[in-house]
Formats: sequence, C-alpha cells, structure tokens
Amino acid sequence: MIEIEHVARRFPEARRRGWIEAVRDVSLVAPDGRITGLLGANGAGKTTTLRMLAGLIAPDRGSLRVDGIDVGQRRRDALGRLGVLADARGLYPRLTMRENIVYFGRLHGLSIDAAQARALALAELLDVRSLLERRCEGFSQGERVKTALARCLVHDPANIVLDEPTNGLDVLATRALRDTLRHLRSPAGGGKCILFSTHIMQEVERLCDRVYVIAAGRDVAAGSPPELIAAAAAQDFEEAFVRLAFPAAGA
Amino acid sequence: MIGRTAAFLRAWRQLGIVAAKEAVDALRDRRTLQMIFFVSVIQAPLILFLLSTLAAQRESHIERREVYVQGIGYAPELRNHLLREAYRIRTPPPDFEARLRANSFDDAVIVVAPDFHARLLAGEVPEVDVLANSNSRGSATARGVARALLEGFIRERTLLQLASDGVPAEFLRPVDVEEYDLASQGSRAAQLTGAFIPLYVLLALLAGAMNAAMDTTAGERERASLEPLMMNPAPPWAIALGKWVAVAGLGLCVALLTSLSYLPAQMLLRSESLQAVFQFGWPEVLRFTLICVPFAAAVAALMMATSIRGRSVKEAQAGNSLVMTLVLLLPLVSVFNDAAEPAWYLWVPSLAQQTLMMRVLKGEPLDAAHWLIPGLMCGIIGVLCLAYVSRALRTHAVK
Repeated sequence: MIEIEHVARRFPEARRRGWIEAVRDVSLVAPDGRITGLLGANGAGKTTTLRMLAGLIAPDRGSLRVDGIDVGQRRRDALGRLGVLADARGLYPRLTMRENIVYFGRLHGLSIDAAQARALALAELLDVRSLLERRCEGFSQGERVKTALARCLVHDPANIVLDEPTNGLDVLATRALRDTLRHLRSPAGGGKCILFSTHIMQEVERLCDRVYVIAAGRDVAAGSPPELIAAAAAQDFEEAFVRLAFPAAGA
Repeated sequence: MIGRTAAFLRAWRQLGIVAAKEAVDALRDRRTLQMIFFVSVIQAPLILFLLSTLAAQRESHIERREVYVQGIGYAPELRNHLLREAYRIRTPPPDFEARLRANSFDDAVIVVAPDFHARLLAGEVPEVDVLANSNSRGSATARGVARALLEGFIRERTLLQLASDGVPAEFLRPVDVEEYDLASQGSRAAQLTGAFIPLYVLLALLAGAMNAAMDTTAGERERASLEPLMMNPAPPWAIALGKWVAVAGLGLCVALLTSLSYLPAQMLLRSESLQAVFQFGWPEVLRFTLICVPFAAAVAALMMATSIRGRSVKEAQAGNSLVMTLVLLLPLVSVFNDAAEPAWYLWVPSLAQQTLMMRVLKGEPLDAAHWLIPGLMCGIIGVLCLAYVSRALRTHAVK
C-alpha cells in the first residue's frame, strides 16, 4: 500500500530568480490489489510526486509511506518494497536484456540464481523470451519499455509505480502491457498495489480502479472513472477530467 | 547494531555488484578496448623502439668509422692520419651542401682547400671546413666525429713539430686527465630513455580510466539510466565506490599492461648501448604498478567528479581533457630539472609518480616517505572527489 500525505515540493528557477511550485499539496492512497491512476496534464506534478515516492527528491513538506514505511526515514527499506518504472528508463546498451534485469535484481539483494530465474519468468510474462540474450542496443521502444518493466519487477515488489508506461508504445504493446498490469493486480499475479501515472484518458478509464486527478500541483478530485464522470456531471471521462482539472476551461 | 552491520555488509555486496557490472560494461566498449590496445600494447613499445633506433643510428655513425672528405687529394698528411686512425675516407656526393641543407644527407663533410698542402709546408695555417646540419642528429654526431679526427690531426702535427725541435712530449701534456662517469647503469639508461617511459605509463592509466569514468557518470545521465539506478536500495556511496573500483581498476590494468609491454619491447631495442643499460624486468613492473595504485585511485575519482557534472559524454570530455592536460603537464617539471629532485615533488600527484618511477628506472631505493606522501595526497583527492560523486549521483539522477 502506498500512502502520500500533503506533499509539496518547489524548485529554484533558472538563475534563482524565483521558485517553481512543482507540487503544492498532493495526498493519495493506493491500496493493494488495485490499480490507482494518477491523471494530470503535462507539468501537473505527477512525475515529481513519484520521484519523491522513490526517494530521489525529498519533499519540502508532507510524508510518503510504502507499506507503512516512511520513505524519508527508511528510504532503502521503502525502496526494497517498491518497483519503479521511471519516466527515464535508460538501459545499458552493451548488456543483454538478461544482464540488465539481473543487475537490478542483484542490487535488490537477490542471489544470482534467483535473479536469473526471475529474469526468465518475467521475459515469459512479457513475451520477450527471444530477446533475453540480446544486447539492448538497437532495441525498439516497445522492447526497451518491456526490459525496463522487467527490471523494475525483478525483485517481485509488492508495490509497483509506473510513470507514463505506455509512452512510445504501439497499440499491440499497449494492450499487452494492460494485460500484464491486470494480471499483476489479480490474486494470481500477487495482488500488487499499482500506482499508474498518465495523461491518457483511455488508459485510465480502461485500467484504473481509482483515479486521482492532479492539476497545478494539487489533487483536485478522486474516485473511480464512473464516479468522476458523475461528480463532474460530464458526458464522458475526458470531459469530466477537463472540468475537474481546469474548471475555468470546462465551464 | 546487528541490523546496522547487516546493512553495511549488504552495501559492500552491492558495491561489488556495481563494480563487476561496470567492469563488464567497460570491457565491452569498443572505444575502451581500442584505447587499451593502442596505448598499452602498441604505442609504448613503438616509442621505445623508435628511441632505440635513434640511439642505434648515432652509434652506427661512430662505429662505421667512415668520414666524408671533399678534396682529400689536397691533404696527403690528413689522409695518412685518417687511415692510421682506421677510418675509411669517402667522397661526398657532388651536391652534398644542398643535400645537407635539405636534411637529406645525414652526415658531415670535411672540406679541404686546394692550397692545403702548400700552406702546411710553408708553416702557414691552412683552413679546413666542416659542413654539417645541426637539425639532423646523424649529421651532428658525424660533425663531432670529424672534429675529433681533425683535433687529433692537429695534435699529431704539433707533437711532431715540437719533437723535431727537441721538446719532450710530457711538456705538451703536463696534466693527465682521466674521466670517470659516476652515474649508475640505470641512470644512464634513464638518460637515454628520458622521462617518456614513466610518462607513457601515466598516460596509459589516464586513457584507460577516462572512458570508463565518463561512461559510469555522464554516460549514465546521457542514456537516462542513472535515475532507475538510484531508485535501487543500494546507498549512493556504495554505487559511487563500486563505479570507482571499476574505473580505477581499469586504469591500473592498462598501466600494468603498458609496463608489461616494455618487457618484450626490450627485444626490439636496436641500440647496443641501450640494450646493455636498459634493464626493465619483473621487479620494475611490480614497483611501477605499486606506484600507480594510489594515483589510479585519485585520478579515477577526479575524472568521475569532473564527468558527473556533464549531462553527456561529450560535455564530460571537455572537463576531462583539462584534467589530462594538467596531469600530464606536471611531470614535465622534472624533465626540465637536471638536479636532484626537490622534496616537494612527492607532494604533487603525477609529478610524484613520475619521480618515483624515474628512481626505479635509475635503480635508486624508495624509502617510506616515497610511498607514504604520494599515497596520502592521492588518498585526500580520492576521498574528496568520491564524496562529491556520491552526493552528485543522487542530485543529478533527476534531469
């Protein structure tokens, strides 16, 4: 379970002329066995929130917990229970897909044998078994995302954080990713807690059990897609998002 | 307490995992492999071979016992003297002066005037010219040989003249001068090879470490793999140290390979005198490597600290070029100093390593200060730079 309480973070502007309020006040709860969406326009503060969750940036205010572990106080323990597919998903081009996955598994404390076994299992789950022994240079965007996803799942984390995972994926790869996430949410897949950030309405509507709408660094609405449509008195989910995130534009 | 110890041991395991991954990654990098092959396997022995060729050319000029004389027919006395000295007299090519100027005639020519014999008999001072080009080492050596022969001829003529006047030979040589070269065999070898052997070992170390230093820091930023890496539960210091172990180890390996390459390269030495005095064996390789250990540690950390500031490998190259220039410039201080090395050399990294390696080549002993002072300085640089890298890895993980 992931709990974020009233986090805020600002950054100095170029040449320190002022401050950019990237996140003003975001709170959310992502329970186990559910896919929770973080929906917002570009620059709304989604990635900064997820970076604070991953311990890369310390919040100016508020707290973040993973399975009850405070990220600020016990960062390493929290990261051990978290698998993050970051916005930056660079691979090591001279290493094979297997080596990329095993490297991260080893850093998470897995033995070589366990990491190798997980790499194989994940390659089968993501349907990339044939790529396992290939070096990552020259991989397509879809292959890169799948490798990065396998890398973040290698230690079988109870909590999975995905930042815009379908960026650059074609339709088939996107559908395959959705199926994988549904499997991971299910009891057969381990009943994972999945926190999913995107700006694509279709994905959220089809995949998420609960959605947090983020706008200008704040969580402005929360609920399931039908609940949000009803709350905004909108015809569809896209219209509901616009009304909730940008009240002036949606009026 | 137990939890803290376990976390510490886990961090050391993670350090090893990072180091192993970075070493594999670096050894698969074609640029690094080319650099290792060119610098350590090809370049250093090639330079040693060229240097020995130069020395061999000089020796052959002296050993050939040939002298070029223009107009030897005008000087039968000089001809007899040269033949008695067991020199073969050769006639220079007709355009020797132009060829000397053009540097295409690698010798010197004694030019005898047509009135040489007549003026000598008349008790006058005939003129002899020695033409050479100081731009050519061969020509300069040959000029020395020609001058020595002519000095010998003059001495012989004077001696004969005075002896015929009844002056005893001892009057002409009131002091007997004996020269002794107190330089050790190693020092003479070091004079011949100059500072280039230690310099190439340092260069090889820098070249070996540079690509890896850039790839593990700026390269991670450029390919956006630093952010996912820093989301691992490994502490930043363990990641920084793991990378540093790989970079320093790679630099040290290339330096070791370069030192080792001098072993077979000795067989390529063409100069007999250099072969006789240049003794580079396993003990020298071992000492060179030990001298390089703290230097590799400091340079790897310094290059990583410089590189982590760059958003791309290209940006990091600019900073590292400066580091390389500075590090290779410092040893030149000792190259231009003929006197005994001042104590402060040991406090300056790179200059200290050059000094110590020169001592090894000269066969001079290394005492505790020689090991401790450079080790301390390199240690300070290494720790400061690694502390910076460890902090910067996390701050620069986010673009």
